[in-house]
Amino acid sequence: MRLRHSDLHGLTGVYALDALAGPELDRFTQHLGGCPGCEHEVRGFRETATQLALAVAATPPAHFRPRVLAAVAVTRQLPPEVPAARPPRARPSWRAWGGWFPRLATASTVVLAAGAIVAAVLLGIRQSHIQQELDQAQARSRALAAVLAAPDARLATAPVNTGGVLTVLASPGRHEAVVTTAGLPALTGSKVYQLWFVAGTSARSAGLLPRPVDGRTAPVLATGVVRGEVVALTVEPAGGTRKPTTRPIVAVPVR
Amino acid sequence: MPRRQSAPHRRPIRLPEDSEEVIMSTPDGPAFQPGPRPADGREEDLARLLARVARGDERAFEAVYEQLARPVYGLARKVVRDPAQSEEVAQEVLLEVWRTASRFDATRGSALTWAMTIAHRRAIDRVRSVSAATQREQKAGAAEPPDAEAVEDTVAARLEAERVRRCLDSLTELQRESVTLAYYGGYTYPQVAALLGTALTAIKTRIRDGLIRLRDCLGVS
Repeated sequence: MRLRHSDLHGLTGVYALDALAGPELDRFTQHLGGCPGCEHEVRGFRETATQLALAVAATPPAHFRPRVLAAVAVTRQLPPEVPAARPPRARPSWRAWGGWFPRLATASTVVLAAGAIVAAVLLGIRQSHIQQELDQAQARSRALAAVLAAPDARLATAPVNTGGVLTVLASPGRHEAVVTTAGLPALTGSKVYQLWFVAGTSARSAGLLPRPVDGRTAPVLATGVVRGEVVALTVEPAGGTRKPTTRPIVAVPVR
Repeated sequence: MPRRQSAPHRRPIRLPEDSEEVIMSTPDGPAFQPGPRPADGREEDLARLLARVARGDERAFEAVYEQLARPVYGLARKVVRDPAQSEEVAQEVLLEVWRTASRFDATRGSALTWAMTIAHRRAIDRVRSVSAATQREQKAGAAEPPDAEAVEDTVAARLEAERVRRCLDSLTELQRESVTLAYYGGYTYPQVAALLGTALTAIKTRIRDGLIRLRDCLGVS
């Protein structure tokens, strides 16, 4: 059954409240591009809905803010859309609203990968064997990018007991995880931060955290993780240990 | 030059349209009265902040966070309900604001509405996915922890909520239920129709009529 124009116009309300789904949503989204009246009405309804949102504002728990800011610190931003980059025939303008909400995983993944490559390259050129290091860095960033691009990759961030946050992006399918930290307190003496994969009561080392730069550690790629295990962090003597000798200061389950 | 009454005593006396509304005023100070949001100076700031955020300014993002965290988290809680999942959704939303700040276009609507549209869609995505639905059902019996932070809610926010509540009260029951089930409940309009035992066409109309009345009551331009 084809909807008449007037029927479509009547969908402004349900569209503005995101109560439209399936083919009807597609049809209406298309219709919006050529219906300035609908666009205007939807805009007013959305502003109205914003008031409904403000009416239920609530203060998030205390750990929320550091978590968000830590995630921001490791997330690259989308570039602005410049006219030249657009296809000649632009999509209907309301489509652009849709364009505001691309899937987080895909884009942040690419973006994180780019950041990882830059970090790896920068780390690489500080060394004497530049070419060799670059090769290694590239191999490493390819490995990082693969995890970041994995469809099952899931991002989790948790506050560390002693301060700062730990961020884990794990792909159980690839049995790999990328770990970064921000704001961990500097360790005294020759102590190091060591990562572990914990299954029940047994723990195996997942590597040492590199020294932080500007309070953040470069991404560590840890392999061999299994869904259901926990990524944990402990403070250990220089060089790390085979088994944890202190209690974990943070633990993040891999889902 | 902004239009302003220079002498308070010449200010025309405006009676509240709704006699139940309480007008708070001091002899010399401006009257507080419900109506359109106070000129949305805050809004302009948010748009300007987003421009700085788009250039990677983390300090500006912190200021954006201060403005958006409560509305975003509150809406997520209202729609998703489960505290842990609400937090995840709220974090996704704020990260999305950071990531896509360069795509905000002030000619399409206010910055706050841009952000809250992202927030609502994210919350909706969460509750409409099957796994989330299962988890919601499983947790339905569990008591929610007391919301200690709610005590911190500012007086301004409470006034805001009261204003919206009064406007919602001015709708017919069917309009109000349709709008709130769709927006706060995260239901599609066929689901709203099923819940209210009403025809699909009627729900579409009720939601649109309700929003028109709400828009006018809240003074949204």
